[in-house]
Amino acid sequence: MQDHVYPSIYFSYFFFALMAGGALYFFVKSLKSGYLGRNSEEPKHRMLEDDEQGGIR
Amino acid sequence: MPEETNSSVNPSAAPSWPVHEDTTAKWFLISSIAYFFIVGIIAVVIAAKFVWPSLLGTVQYLTYGRLRPLHVNGMLFGWLLAADMGLTYFMVPRLCGVKLWSEKLGVATAALWNVIVLGAVVSLLMGWNQGLEYAELPLALDVLVVVAWIMFGANIFLTIASRKYDQMYVSIWYIMGTILWTAFVYLTGNFAVLFATGVNQANLNWMYVHNAVGLIFTPVGLAIAYYFIPKSSNTPLYSHKLSMIGFWALAFVYVWTGAHHMIHGPISQWLQTIAIAFSLMLLIPVWAVVYNFFATMKGQWYQLKDNIALKFLMSGVVFYLLTCFQGPMHSLRSVNAIVSKTDWIPGHAHMAVLGAFSFFAIAGTYWMIPRVFKTSLFSEGLANWSFWFMMIGGLGFFVTLRLGGFWQGWQWNNVAIPFIDTVVALKPVWIVRFFSGILMFLGIVSFSYNIMATILGAKDRPAVAA
Amino acid sequence: MLRKADSNFGFAVVAALIFFFIGGTLTTVVPPLVDKSWGKAFENNDPAKGPTGKLQPYTELELKGRAVYVREGCWYCHTQQTRTLLSDTKRSGWKGVDSPISTPDEFVYDNPHMFGTKRTGPDLSRVGGKYDTQWHRTHFRNPRDLVPGSIMPPFPWIVENQEEFTALVAYMQTLGRAKNWRPDNDYEK
Repeated sequence: MQDHVYPSIYFSYFFFALMAGGALYFFVKSLKSGYLGRNSEEPKHRMLEDDEQGGIR
Repeated sequence: MPEETNSSVNPSAAPSWPVHEDTTAKWFLISSIAYFFIVGIIAVVIAAKFVWPSLLGTVQYLTYGRLRPLHVNGMLFGWLLAADMGLTYFMVPRLCGVKLWSEKLGVATAALWNVIVLGAVVSLLMGWNQGLEYAELPLALDVLVVVAWIMFGANIFLTIASRKYDQMYVSIWYIMGTILWTAFVYLTGNFAVLFATGVNQANLNWMYVHNAVGLIFTPVGLAIAYYFIPKSSNTPLYSHKLSMIGFWALAFVYVWTGAHHMIHGPISQWLQTIAIAFSLMLLIPVWAVVYNFFATMKGQWYQLKDNIALKFLMSGVVFYLLTCFQGPMHSLRSVNAIVSKTDWIPGHAHMAVLGAFSFFAIAGTYWMIPRVFKTSLFSEGLANWSFWFMMIGGLGFFVTLRLGGFWQGWQWNNVAIPFIDTVVALKPVWIVRFFSGILMFLGIVSFSYNIMATILGAKDRPAVAA
Repeated sequence: MLRKADSNFGFAVVAALIFFFIGGTLTTVVPPLVDKSWGKAFENNDPAKGPTGKLQPYTELELKGRAVYVREGCWYCHTQQTRTLLSDTKRSGWKGVDSPISTPDEFVYDNPHMFGTKRTGPDLSRVGGKYDTQWHRTHFRNPRDLVPGSIMPPFPWIVENQEEFTALVAYMQTLGRAKNWRPDNDYEK
């Protein structure tokens, strides 16, 4: 077996940084576009309501 | 974008809700519960074989090596996946505010699924075993699974595509993820492996085995929990946006971890390291999801007292948290050197598949069956018994196998102890496991009896109004 | 961006698949390309580099025996890997000689692979050459006759089928012998 332990660790760190950066980027972008407000939470209220067929609970 | 969806806050929108037939959901659920019961018997038999190894031993069709794959495949595909699919057929039309795209296609899928499971029973007892874990079924059945999955996926996707609201609830993402990822994971694990040998094949096999749990049962199980926890407690989910972190993190990190099944084994060290690093990252999606559920329950915990679905759901969440903490921890090399290949592993696997995902599916069944049959549950008391049987049996099983496995691992690492002594030493553990298995089986019996009695007596007990 | 992820069907599907395929490709397709030892059969003629020997493809008889091993699910309880743990090399060892660890190049002819995940019985990666045919015959008939306390199931239908039994033993005698690690210590000697 060839030893790629160190490159793989550096690779993992690199990847993790890439992902964290990406997450931050999309977070900021969504913040700017106004997504992170109350109205984007709407589906969680809606799913409680569509109890059809006589409203059994 | 779709701001008109605010209309749903307005109760006057109610009359436009469609009437759901739910035929497909009913058939999937009924057959899955039948398999839960039948395969439960097999589970108890193989637990007994650890204590009395000659039990049924001279009948080649009932030897351990043939019953074990039947137990695994029967529980995974006959019970859990079928129940999850049934619940999906129930949830998706409701979350989308439309009827299921095609009930006919759905019923055909349910019929095909039963053909597959019965075919699996015959072929595994005959010993037609491909020799790859979780992929034991012969090729012909694999092809049928793919066909059934396409039928299922098409039906669900077309329903989602025709949805009434633009913004999709969390459960819908998880179900879409399940359908897409499963397709590729299943193709890798059952078809691509056939073109590889040795370590390369093992790597593909473990990618499939790991993701059969991680990218099939986890997302669909979480979809169920995300739907039924708010529904059964009548409390809105804590955060829609937090659930997004859980979903996308799961989508990204899960698939990397297959090689952690071969730690210290004959596979490249660097690949093991990658698998370990990503196994630890699994804590991110798990904790995001679990926090969301616990925060939803804030101030609502009293509901657990007499809400049977919620009891199963929240104990399932706790088991999910525990098993997904244990998983990353025993992928660490030092811990792995002790627990790998011991009885700790079945303890871990059962806590995930039984303790978490089966609990979710049982909760969903308890909630859904009275509603789709327009009746009330046959017996709340019996349902409570089924919970405590499964809980105590499950805890007995998990705790003894964990401790036993740890102890077994220490013994293996002390080479002064001959191997056979480490086998004899585990006998008490296996006896407790057998009796825990009996308790869990009693849980299955009371659960399935309760559901069947609810369905058969549906006409005599009208639904109680809210 | 986030709004697209939860409102746009096509966007969600494509993103979920891209996320999946990054990890999927890098951990399944790439490794065998990077690590050539996964696909090259073991061969070593230089004692300075460890045990010598050469991995041979299975004969027809051994493949038949392997099929029996697969059919009866032996691999659910017996692993076939001597891991990089001291205790594994000792336990797979024989007559005071420690076993070398298993390497990918010893398994290139294995299809299906039999590495296993659970070690209810002992590891079999180096069992070849340790026990003779008569031992295996008695052991398969009833394991507890030879190993009191064993929980292995009996396999009388294999012992009674001369053809299957011969094939199975032939297969088991090949296990772990590509590396010639204990000269003159086999039962044949």
